[in-house]
Amino acid sequence: MNKNLYIPTPSPYDPDKNGHFGKYGGRFVPETLMPALEQLRLDYEAVRFDEGYWSEVDYYYKHFVGRPSALYYASNISKEIGAKVYLKREDLNHTGAHKINHCVAQAVLAKRLGRKKIIAETGAGQHGVATATVAALFGLECEVFMGAKDIARQELNVFRMKLLGAKVHSVESGSKTLKDAMNDAIRHWVTHTRDTYYLIGTVAGPHPYPMMVRDIQSIIGWEAKTQLQEAEGSLPDKVIACIGGGSNALGIFSHFLQDQSVECIGIEAGGLGLDSKHGCSLTKGSPGVLHGQLSYLLQDEDGQVQEAHSISAGLDYPGIGPEHSYLKDKGVVSYDYITDDAAMEAFVWLSQKEGIIPAFESSHAIAYLKKMKDIKDTIILVNLSGRGDKDMMQAKDILKDQFI
Amino acid sequence: MKKLVGYITTGFPDRYFTIDLAMAMAEAGVDTLELGMPFSDPVADGPVIEKANLQALNSGFKLDHLFEASAKIAPHIDTLWMGYFNPFYHKGMDNFIAKAKETGVNGFIIPDLPLEEAKPYKPSIEAAGLSLIDFIAPTDTKERIKEIVTDAKKFIYLVAYAGITGAGKSEDLQPIIANIKKYSDTPVYVGFGVNTHTAKDKAEGVDGVIVGSAFVKVLLDDTLNNMQKISKISSIAREIKEKINI
Repeated sequence: MNKNLYIPTPSPYDPDKNGHFGKYGGRFVPETLMPALEQLRLDYEAVRFDEGYWSEVDYYYKHFVGRPSALYYASNISKEIGAKVYLKREDLNHTGAHKINHCVAQAVLAKRLGRKKIIAETGAGQHGVATATVAALFGLECEVFMGAKDIARQELNVFRMKLLGAKVHSVESGSKTLKDAMNDAIRHWVTHTRDTYYLIGTVAGPHPYPMMVRDIQSIIGWEAKTQLQEAEGSLPDKVIACIGGGSNALGIFSHFLQDQSVECIGIEAGGLGLDSKHGCSLTKGSPGVLHGQLSYLLQDEDGQVQEAHSISAGLDYPGIGPEHSYLKDKGVVSYDYITDDAAMEAFVWLSQKEGIIPAFESSHAIAYLKKMKDIKDTIILVNLSGRGDKDMMQAKDILKDQFI
Repeated sequence: MKKLVGYITTGFPDRYFTIDLAMAMAEAGVDTLELGMPFSDPVADGPVIEKANLQALNSGFKLDHLFEASAKIAPHIDTLWMGYFNPFYHKGMDNFIAKAKETGVNGFIIPDLPLEEAKPYKPSIEAAGLSLIDFIAPTDTKERIKEIVTDAKKFIYLVAYAGITGAGKSEDLQPIIANIKKYSDTPVYVGFGVNTHTAKDKAEGVDGVIVGSAFVKVLLDDTLNNMQKISKISSIAREIKEKINI
């Protein structure tokens, strides 16, 4: 077997055949969708360790996405905080974030299954743009569901999706963000389940999506581990990633979870603070069922889902992928949060110190470098999951007084 | 005689109205009442029921209101709670079972709790003498239909088409109905998209129909006062009951 070819390996944290990670995960969907999910489970299992499938995916990773993504030693911020900071540059991928990884791999699967139509939900628009991109590449019809509030704050990504040939549905119900976009994507899928592939954009939703997207995204940690070995001859001490649904985090964590010396830390959106509005489902939520899965959830005393808040549309979600809930309860990964304000400071900090403008989402992971204690001389690996181009309009508005 | 199951969103426009409406529906010939538990994210529902759910929540609906209303309604009509799984999970299924026994409610309809996920809960629900209604969808395979209906109690909820509630869609259900009947004597009721125009066709080959959006549409009609809403819903119920039994 080609050792340069990424193929997932079975994980000790794999779910059972009904998709349960411990008590989390599962398939809580209307009966109409159950046959499609069961079929997708079998279809994915057939390719999960198949060299032919992953070779096809790898071709597009190399020539279309630009993988492997660079591992960059951020010397200026390293000097400032006294630790060695390595950035895994998923921001350099085609379309500007890690989302393209699971879009390429799922589109290759959809094509193999003979599906002609794909749908997706999107928060910040990164997953929507990446889905629209692979739809164009593979000649698939594409519809994207996006909350009206997100459409307003991410208008450039909306235009990108349309330019790429996708139809964008503005979702006006509920909080008008990612949660409601996913509701409408599910409603569309229930109606068109016979001919449509639902390309879920994170490690959430009903089984097999959480496992499948985690498998796909784990190429990030697989590459980073080798790259860091070459650079430092060792493992990192800490691995940091931001969490909305949790795909970039599981992507970089998975290959380090069995290394006892490595601490993996997921950073949730602290929004306006934990006593105010935020997106900290793990820190402040409790187990509940939304979007086909059982996982930590922001909810009230009656089990009504509460609205999340984050400056970054990609983290503005009241739930989280079920594997994260499982890893939290088992104490395998630790979780913390970063507020909107701290994320914005880090956004400016990385831009000015390293010449890298991070996405608002990734700025949460960067900000954690300053929040951590006792990190002198440690090696820290940060997943720079996306670039900030999509956030320019919003940043310009927020930072207008700082940069006139 | 074919049966009519009616769904209404509890607490919409307000909780006292729900009780009056339920009594009127019982008189109009509705056999079983589905008291809908408003939920923030009703993904199996179309825009009509979604809107009623969100408005009920916005005007302060709490689960306690459902329990209070149920205690008044359930003595007069066979009553089920229809709601998404999260509130059941959050409050605890045992609590819901206890509340159902206390108020006289006969069971639950939970559209996002398929067979596999229902397994941990079904035994305690049935041990309490309550029913958890099973769904069959037109996308189900023969094998899955057999697995689901073998143990089905009270009635089987046959989803009329791949889609959400209240859509103007229809599919040929006769092969599926034949499949269900092969493995179960439990009555089959068809739901989704049933209204005064479609009821007769949808009732073909089944033992009853389930009507939701057609009633809730009236609840959402701002041009009607509460009395008018009740009388219009009652007349729709009478008309459907008549049409399915011609």
